[in-house]
Amino acid sequence: MTLTKASKPTRQAFSQQMVEYANENKDFAVFEADIGGSTYTNLFNAAHPDRYFQMGIAEGNMVTAASGMAADGRPVLVSSYGVFLTMRALESVRTFVCYPNLNVKFLSSHGGVTAAIDGVTHQATEDLGNITTLPNMKALVPADTQAAMAMPQLAMETPGPVFVRLMRDPLFDIYGEDEEFVIGGSKVVREGTDVTIVSYGDILFQAIEAAEALAEKGISAEVLDFYSVKPWDEAALMASLDKTGCLVVAENHQKRNGLGYELSNFLLRNRPVPFDNLGLDDTFAESGDYSKVIEKYGMSASHIITSCESVIAKKEG
Amino acid sequence: MSKSIKERAEYLEDKSIEVRCTILDMIHKANSGHPGGSLSAADIMTALHFDLANTRPEEPRWADRDRIVLSKGHACPVIYACLAMRGYFPMEELNHLREFEHMLQGHPIHKTPGIEQTTGSLGHGLSIGLGIALEGKMTGKDFYTYVILGDGEINEGQVWEAAMAASKFKCDNLVAIVDRNNLQMDGTADEVMPMGDIAAKWRSFGFETFEMDGHDMVDILTTLEKAKLVKGKPIAIVADTVKGKGVSYMENVCGWHGKCPSDDEYTCALQEIKGEA
Repeated sequence: MTLTKASKPTRQAFSQQMVEYANENKDFAVFEADIGGSTYTNLFNAAHPDRYFQMGIAEGNMVTAASGMAADGRPVLVSSYGVFLTMRALESVRTFVCYPNLNVKFLSSHGGVTAAIDGVTHQATEDLGNITTLPNMKALVPADTQAAMAMPQLAMETPGPVFVRLMRDPLFDIYGEDEEFVIGGSKVVREGTDVTIVSYGDILFQAIEAAEALAEKGISAEVLDFYSVKPWDEAALMASLDKTGCLVVAENHQKRNGLGYELSNFLLRNRPVPFDNLGLDDTFAESGDYSKVIEKYGMSASHIITSCESVIAKKEG
Repeated sequence: MSKSIKERAEYLEDKSIEVRCTILDMIHKANSGHPGGSLSAADIMTALHFDLANTRPEEPRWADRDRIVLSKGHACPVIYACLAMRGYFPMEELNHLREFEHMLQGHPIHKTPGIEQTTGSLGHGLSIGLGIALEGKMTGKDFYTYVILGDGEINEGQVWEAAMAASKFKCDNLVAIVDRNNLQMDGTADEVMPMGDIAAKWRSFGFETFEMDGHDMVDILTTLEKAKLVKGKPIAIVADTVKGKGVSYMENVCGWHGKCPSDDEYTCALQEIKGEA
């Protein structure tokens, strides 16, 4: 696994590719809430101004209005930060998009504490919990540039609401141009036999770093990228656990109602294995350097290493 | 030769009697629902469904139709009655309002024929209408979108977010009609949240405004036709109405917001509406 420094954040890769996709696909509109310079939807405005609607700083109205435009089937992408889309506008998402199952797509930037420097008001650390609890919603989290570039087409060609969580800052690139991404899919980014690490988005790179450190200790960790958080890849999880027999889920999200809770619930009912999950532990984070914040709040490679050793010990005990 | 306003109004007055009786019948059978606000909006909704709006009941999502969004979704008996009478779905469905495993939900939903979009959580209908109006502008179609709001509902801040945007985008294909019956659930509109000069508020948000008697068919027809002459800005019509209109013991009584009439009250109400009392 080669990690190369990404040249752009996933929010930029997504929006640039959306413009390309829109050149061939003339049907969808984009609604923005005054952060088009940050989400890069201003690129769409420059290329397709007739389909771009600047709705101002009013996310609730933006999402419900998108549902009105989508009521007869037109796809509409709404863009904002995760904290605003999944909290201020949550009722609009639930009652007016998910309940009637309309073709509204969500460009949701600044997921998790990737907006660390901006502080808690701008850190979407409950976004996936809020959004995945809604029936009909699908949720995707691309980790790198290629994954993010695959998401506009995947979201637009998937019927009904689709939420795409994007990051503020560039991290690493791992995927080549020929990688395919599907709803309900996942990627084995590193094979292993002793422990399975499931992650997505930015924390995937912490998982890869942890797996490399574990390898030096003679521990073989398998790393799965669950870029499709809802629905998630049950077959891939079970196949990996066939090999490893224990699981660590690491995510940039509150532990409560995150993917770790979802998977542990599933495994308790279907296949109990030694398990641990990492994320914000019923706390808010704080402003600061991203790497310091994920270290302090338990989501970095060092925490994943400790967790892996712990679940392996339980398996052997 | 086209009919005169007077002839059209007389036809609608007869229809509105039928609509009101149907509303009470549904709520009485369901033993649940919102009669007060359904009756206050009954004449406006009758005029829209049976005269003003260009719709095709046999093709509910016909692309060029005028759209009617009942933002005050709790008053759905009035739109269900109009839609069934127009043939969107069988009248028999009205016997099953709010019933388990039946079509007519407690508040309107997107998949019911003739319902444009889910409503009932107050304060969202104008946003829905805005999105529909922008669709019309974007595709170059000339349909109108009518959004019926309660005067209590406009307490919701999102109504004014939508108003700002409708004005920005010059949605002269969007008509907001405020059913000003002056009563909310917990008291009069002024007690619950005084809104002051409602028409002035809409004007300050960039709307062309009109006021009308929401129970006078000639006034309703005339005002809505004048509204369609407005260009370059959205339209708000403040309609003076009476909550519970047509049933003496319900008129202007807050308690009839969400209460079902007893058998005797129901019989009395039908007699009054039909002018037999």
